[in-house]
Amino acid sequence: MRLLAERSPSGYNFWVPTVASKLRVKVLFFGRIRELIGRAEEVEEVPEGTTLGDLFDRYAAKHPRLAGFRNSLVAARNQEFAAWETRVAAGDDIAFLPPVSGG
Amino acid sequence: MSNTVADDRYELVHKPIDVAALMQHVRTGQDGAVVGFDGFVRNESHGRPTLHLEYEAYESMALAKMKEIGAQIHERFAIHRVAMVHRLGRLEIGETSVFIAVSAPHRAAAFDACRFAIDTLKKTVPIWKKEYFADGAVWADGELPPAPPIRVEPAS
Repeated sequence: MRLLAERSPSGYNFWVPTVASKLRVKVLFFGRIRELIGRAEEVEEVPEGTTLGDLFDRYAAKHPRLAGFRNSLVAARNQEFAAWETRVAAGDDIAFLPPVSGG
Repeated sequence: MSNTVADDRYELVHKPIDVAALMQHVRTGQDGAVVGFDGFVRNESHGRPTLHLEYEAYESMALAKMKEIGAQIHERFAIHRVAMVHRLGRLEIGETSVFIAVSAPHRAAAFDACRFAIDTLKKTVPIWKKEYFADGAVWADGELPPAPPIRVEPAS
C-alpha cells in the first residue's frame, strides 16, 4: 500500500495510508444556499478530523459569496443541529441551513 | 391519557391539507377540547402584494423535528392527541401552509400546547419560504435555530 505524509489535526506529520484518511460525506443545500451553490446536494471527500466549520470553509473557498453567510447559518449533522466544531464521520449527511421560515 | 406520539399524525405534504380530517383525528371521547391552528398564505408581505409562495424543506430532518415538538408538548402539557402537518411546494393566497390540532380533556392545556407547538415549529423546523411578488422573489427572513453546545466525544 502506498503511504503519503499527512498533517494530523495536532500539526505533527505522520504516516498514514491515504485510503484510511478520506471520509466520504453527503452535503445538502437548501433555500438561498441551494440557489447560491447551484445544486441541492453533492458528495465530498474530506480528511479525517474535518469539522463542520472546515467543511463550510472549503465551500466558501469554492463559492466566495457563501463566506458572508457563515454567521447566519446553522450546521446539521445527520438530521440534528450540530456545533461547527463537530467532527464529521464517514457516511454523514451534512447540511448548512439558512434561517428557517416555515409556518 | 396518552403520553406518547403513537396516535398522533406528523406529515409533510405536497397537496392541500385536509383541516377537517385532522381536527377529527385528534377528537376522541376522552377529550373535552380541541384547539386548531391554521396558518395560511397572506396576500401581502411588508406591504408588498404577494402573488404566491413556495415552501421547501429538509424533509427527513423537518419531520424528525416536528415529532420532537410533539414529544415535547406531550411531556409538558396534559394533552391527548396531536396532528401537525406542513405543506410544501407552491401555495396560493389563502391556502393552508401549516395546521396543528391538539386535543385535551381541558381547554387550557390544548391552547398552551398548540401555541407552544407553532412557535417552536417556526423557530426550529428546517422549512423555508420563498415569496413571489410582481417584480421578483425573495426568501423570507427567518429565525436561526440555536446551535447546540459543543459535544465532547468520549475518548475511545
